Amino acid sequence: MDKQPVPKKELTAQWILLVAVFIIATCGLIYELVAGTLASYLLGDSVTQFSIIIGVYLFAMGIGSYLSRFFNTDLLGWFIKIELLVGMVGGFSAAILFLVFPLAISFQPILYALVGVTGILVGIEIPLLLRILKDKVAFKDLVSKVFTFDYIGALLASLIFPLLLVPYMGLIRTSLFFGILNICVGLYLTRYFYGEIRNVRQIRFSGILLLLAQVLAFILSEKIMSYSETLAFNDKVVYSTSTPYQRIVITKSKRDLRLYLNNNLQFSSVDEYRYHEALVHPAMTAAGNPRHVLVLGGGDGLAVREILKYPSVESVQLVDLDPAMTRLFSSQQILQQINKYSLKNSKVTVSNADAFTWLKKHRQQRFDCVIVDFPDPSGFAIGKLYTTAFYRLLQTVLQPGAAVVIQCTSPYVAPRSFWSINTTLMACGFHTVPYHNYVPSFGEWGYIMALDQDHYQVPDTFAITARYISKPVMEQMLQFPEDMKAHTPLEVNKLNNQALVHYFEEEWGKYLEQ
Amino acid sequence: MQRRDFLKISAGLAGITPLLQACRQERVIPGSIIGASAKTGHLLRDHAFSEPESWEPHQVVIVGGGISGLAAARQLGKAGINDVVLLDLEAKTGGNAACGGNNISGYPWGAHYIPIPNNNLTEYLAFLQEAGVITGYDAAGLPVYNEYHLCSDPEERLYINGQWQDGLVPRFGLSDPERLQLKNFFRYMDAFRQQKGADGKDAFAIPVDASSKDAALTALDQVTMKAWMDDRELTCSYIRWYVDYCTRDDFGTAYDKISAWAGIHYFASRKGRGSNASYHDVLTWEQGNGFLAGQLLQQCRAGVRTGALAVGVRPAEKEIRIAYYDVQQKKLKGLAAQQCILAVPQFVAARLLKDESRLQQVHQYLHYTPWLVANLTVKQLEERSGAPESWDNVIYGSNSLGYVDATHQQLQQRKDKRNLTYYLPLTQSDPDSARKAAYATDHATWTKAILADLKRIHPDIATKTERVDIMLWGHAMAQPLPGIAHGDIRASLGRSLAPGIHFAHTDLAGISIFEEAFYQGLHAAAKVKALL
Repeated sequence: MDKQPVPKKELTAQWILLVAVFIIATCGLIYELVAGTLASYLLGDSVTQFSIIIGVYLFAMGIGSYLSRFFNTDLLGWFIKIELLVGMVGGFSAAILFLVFPLAISFQPILYALVGVTGILVGIEIPLLLRILKDKVAFKDLVSKVFTFDYIGALLASLIFPLLLVPYMGLIRTSLFFGILNICVGLYLTRYFYGEIRNVRQIRFSGILLLLAQVLAFILSEKIMSYSETLAFNDKVVYSTSTPYQRIVITKSKRDLRLYLNNNLQFSSVDEYRYHEALVHPAMTAAGNPRHVLVLGGGDGLAVREILKYPSVESVQLVDLDPAMTRLFSSQQILQQINKYSLKNSKVTVSNADAFTWLKKHRQQRFDCVIVDFPDPSGFAIGKLYTTAFYRLLQTVLQPGAAVVIQCTSPYVAPRSFWSINTTLMACGFHTVPYHNYVPSFGEWGYIMALDQDHYQVPDTFAITARYISKPVMEQMLQFPEDMKAHTPLEVNKLNNQALVHYFEEEWGKYLEQ
Repeated sequence: MQRRDFLKISAGLAGITPLLQACRQERVIPGSIIGASAKTGHLLRDHAFSEPESWEPHQVVIVGGGISGLAAARQLGKAGINDVVLLDLEAKTGGNAACGGNNISGYPWGAHYIPIPNNNLTEYLAFLQEAGVITGYDAAGLPVYNEYHLCSDPEERLYINGQWQDGLVPRFGLSDPERLQLKNFFRYMDAFRQQKGADGKDAFAIPVDASSKDAALTALDQVTMKAWMDDRELTCSYIRWYVDYCTRDDFGTAYDKISAWAGIHYFASRKGRGSNASYHDVLTWEQGNGFLAGQLLQQCRAGVRTGALAVGVRPAEKEIRIAYYDVQQKKLKGLAAQQCILAVPQFVAARLLKDESRLQQVHQYLHYTPWLVANLTVKQLEERSGAPESWDNVIYGSNSLGYVDATHQQLQQRKDKRNLTYYLPLTQSDPDSARKAAYATDHATWTKAILADLKRIHPDIATKTERVDIMLWGHAMAQPLPGIAHGDIRASLGRSLAPGIHFAHTDLAGISIFEEAFYQGLHAAAKVKALL
């Protein structure tokens, strides 16, 4: 063993640099984990995302190590500059990624570029440090110490990230926090090695500037998050809330106001009349002079607005799962202007209940017309509301001659889903009248009217004021071109096969991949 | 070197996190061990009872309120025999089809579903129609099943190779030769399902006694399922696991112990067809087969006495004297019956009859698997990727059978909390030591073991579980070991004793399934009727 006495000041410097290695290693791995987590949040498939990011990061470190040979003078100065750079790139990485995700056509290149740059910078630092310390410490000791601190840092990062950081700070704040840590270390080093570095004032000035920027961003991180949501929706988000049932987002642009439930567009104020007139008026007219109307779903009150145009209507029972929805649409001025205060109308009763269980409990009630406006059958829970069991239950609350209408997703995108609902209704003994129309913000949309007798005739007039529906329009809606037909025999949708959910996943899945 | 370590750390994340979390969670999860009145039951074995003061006369006494006893009682009522008393040791009848419940849903404590019945089981179909399970018959004469009772989709999923797959037959991550073995296995089973013996009977029928006695087929009862599979080179770990899972699930017997005939029966005896269902579909209820037990009870006219431990049955002149201990009143009572049905397991029947040689015989041939069934009340759980939450959720390679979601048949969109029924047949060691070990294990230890098993599929289960109640079945079902289905022991133990003691239990049927219990009851009732 070669034991040489080491001056005290040198010894302290050594330890300071080793602690710096420790912090760099911790921060570096944290940035990598932030990127991996973010990528699996935003892109899905966590196995792929994590393994690519780990690969890119390690490879970039290799590039960094190679590049370190080109640094030949003022090694300490470079070490500090790179420390600050790592702090800047890594610290802002999560915020940048959240912001560009909705904007960028291809998100991955930006993601990998950020991971790559961080990796390269971290990769330069270790060899640089080895060289700074090489004359001060025996080689054997040096390698052992540097790598020990490097790995301990990595372990620390990998433990605190899932256990403390993600749950308590969130991703944007985590990356900013470590950016700030990086920069603080850089600033401390400039102070400690004041005399040994060139351009020290300049470095310190830019370090302080960066520090301020990151502290500011840390404080404003909530705003960054909600701004990124605004970008995702194109328009300004004027209201957003997460209820136990769904995420409700309302956006507003100069042109229109839009409602999204779980990121699916429910209506645009510009063309929703096309959807709601097509949904409501054929059934209301087919029912004769309906007095008692049931609306299932449709907590926005827009279908109810159309129903209230009929003087024959004595009562409207609305059943919507989510109290937050009906509260919103019966209290917000801007939304009530769209539904014409329909939910506040004295004829209207609002019940917040599950449609299936509500029907089971109210089998003694009778209705002349039922409007079924559920979300699309995108999962097994909601799929139950499109089964023979549900339609048979619905039949028990119908007056003779009553009309039912069901929103049935897009027969253009999902013809098999659409026609499978038709098959299901027919299996329950309904006579069906499928039709469709064009709603610009949705595309081609489909509806099926279900009647107890096979007598449907397009009425001569729709005795209400309407912007869209009329006799010729209705006649046209009944025509289905070839590309909206199913062309294969379809299964009846039942509780024990949920055929519709399978069709729907397949058809919309394919459509959204395009 | 740096790279390797780095990767290790990243990968280690997955392993370390739950470990650390486990350290933090010292929370005691409330619940209790419910046990099928083991203490009261064991009085029969350990306590010497004196004679009751008097003998209350009745036409028929049925001892045991499981499915066999209830079916017998119902059948006697249908035959116009109304002076019937049914004794059950438990607070509620139902036997293995017992159930419980809380404000979220009902849940099973034992058997939890029936497959679509075979169409030749006329009496059974009639019962199901009376119970509202069959709503009518279509033009082709096929039963139409109540759609609320057919198991909702998605029915089953298997956690295998790090992912949930649809269905329980292993598929995800299998090589082609392994897939081929599974395919071949099902080809054999399909052939057995169609096969008829030289006597023209179905090779595998329900009840077991309706099956062909063709020697080529009954020879299958001489070997174990594993031996049969080994002979056919069905040896990959996936097919072995799958068959073992099935035989433990239905019969509480590992595939290397069970008779090949009984093992194949599981796959080849179901032939039922309905208007809206077929043999691979199942019928289920929140409370499991507790629903059917409840229906049987409702449809029978017998006087049911629960908390009544029968302690002795002995023929006297022209009558049969049944002594029982009233658990509530702590009093010994007597019944004098013209006819008596012992709808209890044979080890109980032998003790009731105080017949030592009979007891010896039972101990020699019939071995009863202990089971653990737990009901967990859970909040929203973290899910692994792949197939969505299903009715039956099974973990590949686990000793347990996974869990069944008792709320699955509920119709509402949102379920904040659910009851999960966890099944664990204690087949790792011989029944006696497994039973002793099970009774010696406390609630906290069982709960820990259950949560450790389920943690693989729901990492946050320990924090999301609000309550765990545990039922220990000391003698859940008799094992269909080689020689049981086609040996002589069942007939010998099942033969009625003069002047009118009859036996009805699935341990005499060979396998423990609902239909067998039902027909055990029916046949005993028919014997009673013939002698009255």
